[in-house]
Amino acid sequence: MAHFIAILLDEKRLDALKGTGLEEKISDLFGGALKALNIEVPEEAEKGIMEAFTAARIDSRGAITDVPIAFNRVLFEEIVKHKSIGKEVFDSVLARADEIKEAAAKESTYLPPPDIDLSDIEELQKKPYQSA
Amino acid sequence: MLKIERPLPHGGRLVERVVRDPKLAKKMAKGCPVYDIKPTLHFETGVPVRNVYREIMSICYGFFSPVEGSMTQAEVERILKERRLLNEWVFPFPLVFDISEEDYKKLGVTSGDRVLLRLKGEPFAVLDVEEVWRIDNPEELAHKTFGTPEDNPEVVRERFDKKHPGWVIYRSLNPVVLAGKYTIINEPKFKPPFDRFWYPPRKSREEYDKRGWRTVINHQTRNVPHVGHEFLMKDAAFIGDIEPCHGIQVNAIIGVKRRGDYPDEAIVEGHEMVHLAGYIKPERHLVTMCLWDMRYGNPLESMLHGIIRQNMGCTHHMFGRDHAAVGEYYDMYATQILWGKGIPSFGFPAPITDVPYGLQIRPQNMAEFWYCPKCGEIAYSGTCNHTKEKQKFSGSFVRGMVAEGVFPPKVIFRPEVYKVIVKWWKKFGYPFCNEKYVKEKEERLEVDLPHMEV
Repeated sequence: MAHFIAILLDEKRLDALKGTGLEEKISDLFGGALKALNIEVPEEAEKGIMEAFTAARIDSRGAITDVPIAFNRVLFEEIVKHKSIGKEVFDSVLARADEIKEAAAKESTYLPPPDIDLSDIEELQKKPYQSA
Repeated sequence: MLKIERPLPHGGRLVERVVRDPKLAKKMAKGCPVYDIKPTLHFETGVPVRNVYREIMSICYGFFSPVEGSMTQAEVERILKERRLLNEWVFPFPLVFDISEEDYKKLGVTSGDRVLLRLKGEPFAVLDVEEVWRIDNPEELAHKTFGTPEDNPEVVRERFDKKHPGWVIYRSLNPVVLAGKYTIINEPKFKPPFDRFWYPPRKSREEYDKRGWRTVINHQTRNVPHVGHEFLMKDAAFIGDIEPCHGIQVNAIIGVKRRGDYPDEAIVEGHEMVHLAGYIKPERHLVTMCLWDMRYGNPLESMLHGIIRQNMGCTHHMFGRDHAAVGEYYDMYATQILWGKGIPSFGFPAPITDVPYGLQIRPQNMAEFWYCPKCGEIAYSGTCNHTKEKQKFSGSFVRGMVAEGVFPPKVIFRPEVYKVIVKWWKKFGYPFCNEKYVKEKEERLEVDLPHMEV
């Protein structure tokens, strides 16, 4: 069975896909709460991904996961560049494996946290139900 | 009788080996040779994989009743053969106080001696040495601990190796074992946020009384809860007896984690947020923890979980697919096989609740929860027939989404729970456990010790 990779799409990525002809490949996840491009991975490419990124694995959905974040970024860049989700995209991504690995090494020590307001949970945590 | 009563502790009585009288404590420690507790280091990489202080805490506060200390050679051999202690009660794992040959020479102790164990430079516990024995072949011990496809064909699918964190713990043990009972003489103080989740068995049983809980179902966790976990807890809790379980207890395993797990601080506060934000009433929800460096031993780990939670007073325990598992070493339903029909090669020809000296806590074996866009809700796989439309909660998918900084939709994470992840992400610079987190946490630990002059 062919496995797939799901690229999550935020607003910025959705904009980048406009005009590429790939809009129709966008699927809804979790009742439309998330958008994603589900890309079938050719067998040869899967082999290359597994060899290059040893933490990668197939999850219970049949998706290739636990690849570096940089992998997803580069994969998306190449999709937009080629206006395709075909084999040539994976060839280009794997050609950039060293660059991805270099970025992934930094990812293992630091990831920038999202800048979101936490005041509501700080307020809730001021009155814990359980106390020491 | 339809009503279920709280089970007795495993072994019939709760072990409590904590001396709270400072005079007695000092008297017990006076003149003893001193050993400073060290973390167990990975046999190849040198990264911390275990700290025996966590086992001492869990033994002395009764989580592992009826175990009272570091095991003798005969006890370890019995466990590896039949998963039973010498007093017959079932128990899954060898627990030992292991030291190097060099440290053993320096200590110069033998059976009958007492050793003062220090943690973070302060007196912590004493070990009354009953026997000194040696682990000749740690690799063999590691294999025997988890089983092999040849010896345990019912549930073991692959031979264990250094990719398995539990196997690595046993493979990394030092050769000299000091066997004997532990007694804590200087109670450690938990640091926030752990302090408000510390409910050792006597305290948890008192808390259930205070809350009027007769039936309590436990949820094992090493995760920040996504909505699938929340629905597992809520739905499993309907079991009870003449009414749903009175209490839903979360018991988080706190200890060395593998890369990619969430930090312990985020795990306990994430679960707490489920009741602070009202998704489960706080009166019905208790978040607790137990110190243990997880062995990821699927059916064996589930046996330990049953022991811990029975000792805490729970009547029920929920078990899912791939319980406390990593990789594909065990059958994905190995835990449910143990509790549903038994695993003869591990010494259990019948379910572990139906064998002599077995457990009394009742399993609630659950399948999985998924999001069904057609039902428009979180659905139970045993009920929802929209198998084509289903969207599974894959842990690695959720982690990938978090790592990319995507705010998860409400059907995956409650927003308040996700924000707890971000809170600790800001503190540690990383949303998950990485090598830096593990190293620093193993230095600071979850506790501090009061100063004590001996």
